[in-house]
Amino acid sequence: MNELKIEDLTCYRGENLVLKDLNTKLKSGETLVIRGKNGSGKTTLLRVLSNFIKSYNGKILFNDQNVIEDSNYRYLFNFVGQKNSLKDNLSVKNNLKLWEIIYQKNISYSKLLEDFNMSHLVERDVASLSDGQKKCISLLRLNFTESKIWYLDEPFVFLDEENSQILIQKIKNFNTNNGIVIITSNINLQNTFTNEIKI
Amino acid sequence: MFALLKRDLYLALYSSSSFFYTSSFFVLILIILPFLFGTNDIQLQVLFKGIIWIGLSLSILLTMERIFNADYEDGNLDIILQQNPSLETVIISKYITHWIVYCLPLFIILPILSFLFYVSLDNFFLIFLNLLFGSFGMVFIVTFVSALTLGAKRTIFLKAIIVIPLFVPFLIFGTNLESWPILLALSMMSFVLSMYVSAYGLRLYVE
Repeated sequence: MNELKIEDLTCYRGENLVLKDLNTKLKSGETLVIRGKNGSGKTTLLRVLSNFIKSYNGKILFNDQNVIEDSNYRYLFNFVGQKNSLKDNLSVKNNLKLWEIIYQKNISYSKLLEDFNMSHLVERDVASLSDGQKKCISLLRLNFTESKIWYLDEPFVFLDEENSQILIQKIKNFNTNNGIVIITSNINLQNTFTNEIKI
Repeated sequence: MFALLKRDLYLALYSSSSFFYTSSFFVLILIILPFLFGTNDIQLQVLFKGIIWIGLSLSILLTMERIFNADYEDGNLDIILQQNPSLETVIISKYITHWIVYCLPLFIILPILSFLFYVSLDNFFLIFLNLLFGSFGMVFIVTFVSALTLGAKRTIFLKAIIVIPLFVPFLIFGTNLESWPILLALSMMSFVLSMYVSAYGLRLYVE
């Protein structure tokens, strides 16, 4: 059983107070949706949790170990940000190949693309895809690591109803396998995920 | 580090034009010379020593956006930094890739160009050594400027204003055929400066 605990998290960006005394706790199999206005600090929170931003007050503990001191923490989470991490001038296949190299994991592209019913796009240049298709391919990065936590920044943006449902199912499957998920979203997901905080 | 190195080399291979951009640019600059100054052997030999440095400087300068900025803009930098916690290994990997992709092709075509410009074999080796040691330093310089200006969009002119004065020592000593030890020393100093400043630039981005 894994546990992610955020204790009295306060973070400044320059002079601005972005996060103030945030406290929450998540256990294996739980998903937390973070909602808030534009600029309220949702992305900052995910970047803090992903250890990209290290200057903050408070504690982030994974299984009671401070993540900032845990050198193995980076293997435990997968962060999918708002940028798609795709090279526009390359084909989908070559983009997946680049991820395969950097994550050092061999993966079957066709099987991976089937997740979002996109096997037919494998040879297409990313530049020719729609924003929704790019988003789906970007979310395939979740399959490249054996992580215990997913940090997803606005994952439903650009996704149509069908692909949103596929993503929701993927998140639920991950929860079933004891994964912890934190999602930032502007849309109301309360009917799907009950655990929600507003910042 | 090797995974990042391999990934960057594959990226260059997939965008295969990268290999040819700089060498074509380099060749074109040199081809213009005889049209401007005539085909006198001695004059071309003198000009060649200088113009190859201008070609190298421009080739390195114009490709500096690809060191960190391309990965920053599409979000790949986050993945790179997550997978490589040591900023130093990221920076060293970028040096190696940038040199291999954008400088090595110039050294491959250099013998042919030297032959076309009537450069003697002795002089060719000295020019080659000068360019080799100078190119390392120039790559170190563009890497730290690229890291420091990360996120600043459409600032190639700003970057050029920062980079060109830093290239001047390399250009001054580069045209003197026997100054490769000085160029090597300049490159080593640039390496020390570049590692520190590039890491600072990347840390600023991460924060």
